Amino acid sequence: MTVSANELALELKTQALANARRNGSEGVVLDALEGASFPQRKSERWKYTSLQALADGHLNGVAAGDIAQPLPALSECVVSITNGALTGSTLPDGVSLHHESPEVNGLETPFALYNSAVARAVVLEVAANTRVAQPIHVQIQSASDAPAHCNPRVIVKLNTGAEATVIEHYHAEGQALTNAVTALITADNAKLTHYRLQGEHASTLHIGTLVIDQQGVSTVDSYQLMTGNRLRRNDVHALVNKSGAELNMKGIFVVRNKGHVDNQMCVEHAVPNCESDQNFKGLAGESGKAVFNGRIHIHPGASGTNAELSNKNLLLNAGAEINTKPELEIYNDDVKCAHGTTVGQLDAMQQFYLQSRGIAAAEAKRMLSLGFVNELLMALPHEKVAEWATPWLEAELTQASPAGADAA
Amino acid sequence: MSQAELDKLIRSNYEAGFTTQVDTETLPPGLSEDVIRFLSAKKGEPEWMLEWRLDSYRKWQEMPSPSWAHLKHPPIDFNEVSYYSKPKSLDDAPKSLDEVDPELLATYEKLGIPLHEQEMLAGVAVDVVFDSSSVFTTFKEKLAEAGVIFCSISEAIKEHPELVKKYLGSVVPQGDNFYAALNSAVFSDGSFVYIPKGVRCPMELSTYFRINEANTGQFERTLIIADEGSYVSYLEGCTAPQRDENQLHAAVVELVALPGAEIKYSTVQNWYPGDENGKGGIYNFVTKRGVAHDNSKISWTQVETGSAITWKYPSVILRGDNSIGEFYSVALTRHMQQADTGTKMIHLGKNTKSTIISKGISASRSQNAYRGLVRISPRADNARNFTQCDSLLLGDQCGAHTFPYIESKNPTATIEHEATTSKVSDDQMFLCRQRGIDPEKAVSMIVNGFCKEVFKELPMEFAVEAGKLLEVSLEGAVG
Repeated sequence: MTVSANELALELKTQALANARRNGSEGVVLDALEGASFPQRKSERWKYTSLQALADGHLNGVAAGDIAQPLPALSECVVSITNGALTGSTLPDGVSLHHESPEVNGLETPFALYNSAVARAVVLEVAANTRVAQPIHVQIQSASDAPAHCNPRVIVKLNTGAEATVIEHYHAEGQALTNAVTALITADNAKLTHYRLQGEHASTLHIGTLVIDQQGVSTVDSYQLMTGNRLRRNDVHALVNKSGAELNMKGIFVVRNKGHVDNQMCVEHAVPNCESDQNFKGLAGESGKAVFNGRIHIHPGASGTNAELSNKNLLLNAGAEINTKPELEIYNDDVKCAHGTTVGQLDAMQQFYLQSRGIAAAEAKRMLSLGFVNELLMALPHEKVAEWATPWLEAELTQASPAGADAA
Repeated sequence: MSQAELDKLIRSNYEAGFTTQVDTETLPPGLSEDVIRFLSAKKGEPEWMLEWRLDSYRKWQEMPSPSWAHLKHPPIDFNEVSYYSKPKSLDDAPKSLDEVDPELLATYEKLGIPLHEQEMLAGVAVDVVFDSSSVFTTFKEKLAEAGVIFCSISEAIKEHPELVKKYLGSVVPQGDNFYAALNSAVFSDGSFVYIPKGVRCPMELSTYFRINEANTGQFERTLIIADEGSYVSYLEGCTAPQRDENQLHAAVVELVALPGAEIKYSTVQNWYPGDENGKGGIYNFVTKRGVAHDNSKISWTQVETGSAITWKYPSVILRGDNSIGEFYSVALTRHMQQADTGTKMIHLGKNTKSTIISKGISASRSQNAYRGLVRISPRADNARNFTQCDSLLLGDQCGAHTFPYIESKNPTATIEHEATTSKVSDDQMFLCRQRGIDPEKAVSMIVNGFCKEVFKELPMEFAVEAGKLLEVSLEGAVG
């Protein structure tokens, strides 16, 4: 079924509103959803991502399937959210779980607003001056045989002086659409290490917003690893809101076989003397499509800001596509801002070298691709995560450059 | 068309109280098909040209005015613009330089512009008489010898209709964008250049040397065709500020580089930028694009210091294999100026190369944005792009922005993009001041250094003037 983008936008809005009303939403959130304009063909922020897949009716049904291949636990502390609802939790001392969601700033997409209107938030609050040694593994899983959606909403709140590691881990099967919102809120002297692992099945859809709201002088390190599926859209909105705060984001995206990944990053510096650093690497093979929009916005008062962004990409095959746009919007002269972007291919000389040593073309390509992202994989601070992520990405890379496909 | 027919046409279309206006040869503000018919008739254009204009007008009417640029301005009422006016009568213009704004003269002085040029730029009503041995005449003879056609576009429509018909709108189609469509409907005049096969144009062509036709007005249309294996360098504009009352400018420039040809197009744009409170100034909406065929090269160099609003993206469609596109730009904004400028490099052919160097300088309360697109199509094997866009901010109330779109669909392409933002560092200032250079001079030196990569692409005399121009523009902008 193909419908025009305009009709689809209208249809999605109708469905979202109906679902929200059925859910008993009212007040500000409903007003926001009602006022939101759903992406149309010419919406700038959705230029490279079509929502046509949603014409299958994902918003009409709610996912309720059983998870066939559940995620392995990467820690002793696990919080399970299945089809949008909390299904279990083992928490370390100093971390409490409740459902009283604080207000989340920086939500922009209509999907995030829809999530706000219907979701029951899972709030993980780390008590002041507590250092949680064990990572908290938040497993967000969904499954549905027919097109259906769910709205997981996770809020991680670090109070003053708290220190924690949170692994946000997605898994979906069948035809599920995961419409997720995650917010990380940090107070003074907090230190958060965050992982966002997205390896849902190729047939599933994911539309997610990640908000990083640094309300205090805090450090947030975020590692985002993702593979492509039928539709993956990540809106990441970081608000570096207190002088002295520091934000580091590193990420890898691999798309293959009609996979799609659209990353819309926006880092806003509103106060003086903050730092942000972003380093993302992308690989696109077969008919995969990757989008990376990295925006740094420096407000007039944010003097002394140091903001950097690097996005390097490899295009592995004909038919694959990479669209990248590193944006700078700067309203202050006393800043240091730089971004760099490249789109290229594997070095033919390096491949030749490996092949001359008797390594098959496909294997050589896989080794070099892995080498390309290795710098970021090596930087993952938790061994358990690295142990899980390396073979996962490796498998993905093997398929991204099939044997014999222009192995020049 | 006979005069009687012409009169009839004019009269028949202006029944609504229009005829009286015809005598004064200035149309009241407003745009309609009748205005276009009048304009075309006035210029004695053939029927096909009129049809082309009307077709553009119809397309324009259906188009929304673009709002995507990083610019803020009140909506433009296109019915308040007058689309045809007779060149300024000698009575209205200043009689001598004594009557010209002294500030303007001071600027000319600093730029070292000869007296008779000053008069021309300030619009002084003097008859510019060139003696028979003037540069101007010598130029014409030399060009004719080489077979180069260099004339106004109106003249070309009459004298070389086959070339105009073939190439006009071939690079920037009538309905390409809102302002290009408007230009296609109402363009007043502009330049036409044709360089025959294998000819290296014996001199740099410049609008200045078409002095007798210089008053081309606000909707300029330029068409340059470089036939196989030829070369031309074209200079547009002038480093001196131009007296101009028109608020809205919508120009279109089309370049066609046939196989093996090379076109170098340099612009210095210094229209009135408005005062420090953003009052007045030109709105400059320009569409510039070139098509590069096999083994050809198109190079754009621009120095943009004027206009209240600049909306301009000189682009190259690298259609042929091994073609090359270049874009070198310096954009300086001050007061309340807003610039949204950059380039598009569309790689279609194999082994195509493009280079983009953009330097943006923003001072006082201005906004300066670079907007660019690099697109590699699936069949552009081994395409190569390098982009560098640097911004320099002077003062804490200005803005510098970058919006580079990079789209690659070919695994053999290599694209690199770099951008930095900085201010004039305290260390640099300290060093200069320690050596007895006053702050203003120091800033202008540093800014000049920042722009060097672009200035070296300009023809020599132009580069010297451009440097001086920056110096003048920065005066008072540094606090």
